[in-house]
Amino acid sequence: MKEEVQQIKDIAFAALNKEQILKRTHGDRMIWAIVLLLSLISILVVYSATGSLAYKYHKGNTSVYLFKQISFTLIGLMIIYFLHRINYTFFSRIATFLFWISIPLLLYTLFFGVKINEGSRWIRLPVIDMTIQTSDLAKLALFMYLSRLLSKKQDVIKDFKKGFLPVLWPVLLICACIMPANLSNALLTAATSMLLMFIGRVRFSHLFLTVLIAMIPVAIIISIAVLTYDPLETESAKKGKIEKLKSFGRVGTWVKRTQDFIYQSGESDPYQLQQAKIAIAKGGILMGLGPGNSEQRNFLPQAYNDFIYAIIIEEYGLIIGGGVALLYLVFLFRCINLFRRCPFAFGAFLAVALSFTLVIQAMANMAVNVNLVPVTGVTLPLISMGGSSFLFTCAAIGIILSVARNVEQLEGSETTHSMTKQNMPVV
Amino acid sequence: MDVKRDILWRVYLTYILMIIGVLVILGKAFYIQQVEGKYWRSLSDSLRLKVVDIEAERGTIYSEDGQMLSTSIPQFDIYIDFNTEGLRAKNGQLFRTHVDSLAWHLSKLFKDESQAGYKRILQDGFKKKLRYYSFRKKVSYRDYQAMQEFPLIRMGRNKSGFIAEERSIRKNPYEMLAFRTIGLARDTFKVGLEMKYDSILKGVTGKRLMRKIAGGVLVPVSDQNDVEPQSGKDIITNLDVFIQEVTENALMDMLVQNQAEHGCAIVMEVKSGKIKAIANLGRNRDGSYSENFNYAINPSEPGSTFKLATLMALLEDRKIDLTQVVNLEGGSWQVGNRTVFDSERHGKNEVTIQQAFEFSSNVGMAKLISKHYGRQPSAYFQHLHRMRMDTLTGIDLLGERSPLIIKPGSKFWSGTTLPWMSFGYGLKISPLQTAMLYNAVANGGKMLRPYLVNTISEEGIVISTITPQVISEKICSKPTAEKLHQALVGACGSPGSTGYQLFKNVPYTVAGKTGTALVADGVRGYADKIYQSSFAGYFPAENPQYTIVVVIKNKPQAALFYGASVAGPVFKKIADRLYTSYVFGTAKATSISKLDSNQISFSGHKDDVTTLMRKLSLPVADQSGAAAEWITVQTLNKKSLLNRLSVNQNQVPILKGLGLKDAIYLCEEIGLQVKVSGRGKVVSQSLDPGTTVKKGNIIQLTLQP
Repeated sequence: MKEEVQQIKDIAFAALNKEQILKRTHGDRMIWAIVLLLSLISILVVYSATGSLAYKYHKGNTSVYLFKQISFTLIGLMIIYFLHRINYTFFSRIATFLFWISIPLLLYTLFFGVKINEGSRWIRLPVIDMTIQTSDLAKLALFMYLSRLLSKKQDVIKDFKKGFLPVLWPVLLICACIMPANLSNALLTAATSMLLMFIGRVRFSHLFLTVLIAMIPVAIIISIAVLTYDPLETESAKKGKIEKLKSFGRVGTWVKRTQDFIYQSGESDPYQLQQAKIAIAKGGILMGLGPGNSEQRNFLPQAYNDFIYAIIIEEYGLIIGGGVALLYLVFLFRCINLFRRCPFAFGAFLAVALSFTLVIQAMANMAVNVNLVPVTGVTLPLISMGGSSFLFTCAAIGIILSVARNVEQLEGSETTHSMTKQNMPVV
Repeated sequence: MDVKRDILWRVYLTYILMIIGVLVILGKAFYIQQVEGKYWRSLSDSLRLKVVDIEAERGTIYSEDGQMLSTSIPQFDIYIDFNTEGLRAKNGQLFRTHVDSLAWHLSKLFKDESQAGYKRILQDGFKKKLRYYSFRKKVSYRDYQAMQEFPLIRMGRNKSGFIAEERSIRKNPYEMLAFRTIGLARDTFKVGLEMKYDSILKGVTGKRLMRKIAGGVLVPVSDQNDVEPQSGKDIITNLDVFIQEVTENALMDMLVQNQAEHGCAIVMEVKSGKIKAIANLGRNRDGSYSENFNYAINPSEPGSTFKLATLMALLEDRKIDLTQVVNLEGGSWQVGNRTVFDSERHGKNEVTIQQAFEFSSNVGMAKLISKHYGRQPSAYFQHLHRMRMDTLTGIDLLGERSPLIIKPGSKFWSGTTLPWMSFGYGLKISPLQTAMLYNAVANGGKMLRPYLVNTISEEGIVISTITPQVISEKICSKPTAEKLHQALVGACGSPGSTGYQLFKNVPYTVAGKTGTALVADGVRGYADKIYQSSFAGYFPAENPQYTIVVVIKNKPQAALFYGASVAGPVFKKIADRLYTSYVFGTAKATSISKLDSNQISFSGHKDDVTTLMRKLSLPVADQSGAAAEWITVQTLNKKSLLNRLSVNQNQVPILKGLGLKDAIYLCEEIGLQVKVSGRGKVVSQSLDPGTTVKKGNIIQLTLQP
């Protein structure tokens, strides 16, 4: 505790002194650079994409959203800095706590949360009046908790009862809580968790079995979608049917989206997908329309959020769009590097788990934008307009950098004590 | 196997999967750009959004007595979407069932096509699946309402495909009445009050985001307007429909009778400068007359009515007195190389100045001005400046043109300029300026600005009131004004004066002056003998109420051209009607002025009011409509005009004019608590009409008998 108080004091003091901050900023410089670069891109694109939003709510005063985004970026960077100064072993302790607190929070959200786009996914924080998506917190908690479990259970991981089940049930619990409001998010979380388990040496057969069981409800939805789809039926009849389906919770929406995805053909694409594709088509390969020149931002719903990648391609071209994807891959590579260098299992898992989840989320967002997968409401980490998910992303990066800082410190002391990596215990 | 290495290959494998994933994503983006690109880019054009203006409802122009002079009435353009689902459902069953009866009703309503004709139109559109068939334009509100009851159409837009687009058009219910003054409000061309008060009448244009669908049809993106239009404000003018009607008719009669070119007549309230009527009539090519130009604010040679200005200058400078004698030289007098003639050779020599003015001697004026101002004309022009004869009146109307006065030093100045100017030649002022001058004399020297708009209001609530504006407290001293008054009374009453015959038998006294000016007709100069006849004056002389100026430009070689025989009768006709209707008796005169600024009105339950009216057998004009439960009553032209008093749920009604019982009933019905002070009828209420009500709100009512 004393140590932490001292740390906070240090930070407060450091804030007064630029040199001090630079001195105290540790961790992988490449990761820092990527974070700053993505934030910069974010400010540019969000500023451009919120044009229509500003027109709607602030009489065309676009600087409102610019200011908001810059504030979010600064707060995010402060979170990263703060967390990276903390010894990551602290996160091991807090992971369990966060995991247990996120389950009642999810349930609370499910029953009493704020409804945005039908699914009840948000709770409003009273004092600062910000809505947060509790699943973001739950996901971060889950992945931290998984890192902890996987690192602890390495000895018995191949055993179904002792190794697999204790790792599996937290995943199922969280996904079950997310699913009623946000199926796609739950599926994404489950898939990411499976991937982490695969990395964490869980048996193939166990994973395969789990996937098989999980596929049953998905298969049911797909088959309903296929069976109830009638290409000739009129819009109103369709609406009626969906209304009927909606009486079964959100199942109707799922079925509708699946139908939209399976039976899409040009003009019958959902409106936002049409607009996203137009945006992508308008940006060329080499050159886009230029910063701030997006035309589709006026027509593309959520242009500043779920569909920001399409706007990036429209304004900056496919090459830069690919560059953004590359930044995520380099980020992931640096984190894998951390994994290799980190002598302690928890830190290694933490770095790799959190980085993979971020990159998977980024890929999911991009895949939605180019219509590779059905529409899901995931943001592009660090780039989509600020909000709770932006801050949780920053928290994840802060934790990764905390691991990086510890690794650096260890390596620093190693060289002074002339010890080699091979001598360090693996687990 | 080493645990770490076991993990590491899994990590790398996953990493490679990620790289593949990114490549697939970029590949798909590339595919969208390069393979499907053309399609998507073309689609973007057809999906364009457009911000469409929604015209705000234009304010109404009212007369002082509350009649609509210019208002916007709704009209409907009817379109049919033959592709509406409801219409086509079950293989067009709905359409087939109703097409016959619908065609019958349409034919009966519009009468321009037979039932078969309408049926053909409908079936044709249905067959071609037209999405936005323009069925009929400019359908009146009444017809539109009738259509709402028709089979199929009454099922609503989604079933029938009938779409009505509302637009408003500008209508002047009194048509020609003061038309030029009220003006026009076309998109590109506005004149008159419509132009002058355009920014107030127009309101704020709303905006709505529309999405273009196939065929260039715009549909709203959301149900709400992005920027709500704000209705324009109403303006209430000083114009009085009755006086305007009298004025316009009197002028029209004379113009027609005399086949005059054009004419104008202005009625101004003496005490306030309010323009109560303004008529501008000009001859059209086909010989008819219409309000085609604002003659009242365009300068022309005034002729003898201007002698008042000359006399004012002379009296004010104490150069002369009315009783002094002037030699008229028998009716002609040589100045330099020109000769001044009186209108007829009268052979008179020694007369008083008062007499010279009374029978409008040009010689007299020319001699006086030459004698007293010949050496220092600037003193005379200073007086004209003091009388505001050299500037615009500043009336709230666009298009007023500057007067023309030749001053010493001008290249047009000559030795004869001043003498001729003394009797109104060689300068141009507008009839309205003349009216302003005579009105000032009627007011004992106080000059008021003529103005047309009295009040600006919004939904019946007065926003601002324009008060009379004094241009100059004194354009001449009180004694001068009194002497001028005396001269003007003489000009209409003394035997031998120009106005004597005209006003011989009227029950009121007029103070006024005739004017006859030979006007130059372009290149032909004065050769065509075109006379401009005018009469300016006010009445009743002992307590002036109205100033009236009539100016008529006759046709060439007209038989009648004297001011007294052309313009004078128009003045008399207007004055007669005003006198019998408004001025008769001093007691009434005061109540009249009250009527001018305060419409007598009260409100009540319709059944009560109509019963009362029937019992007293008072004439009633019911405009409230059958559904009206509450009404307001206005007295107009000795008739009671019933209008609907709208009472909406959750909105404070207009309570003014209601009795206490009715007011409390209305308030408590919508949940208001009433506090009352005073007795009689409601004169003010603490919550503005139209305010949304919450249960238990308190409203304070002030009553007065």
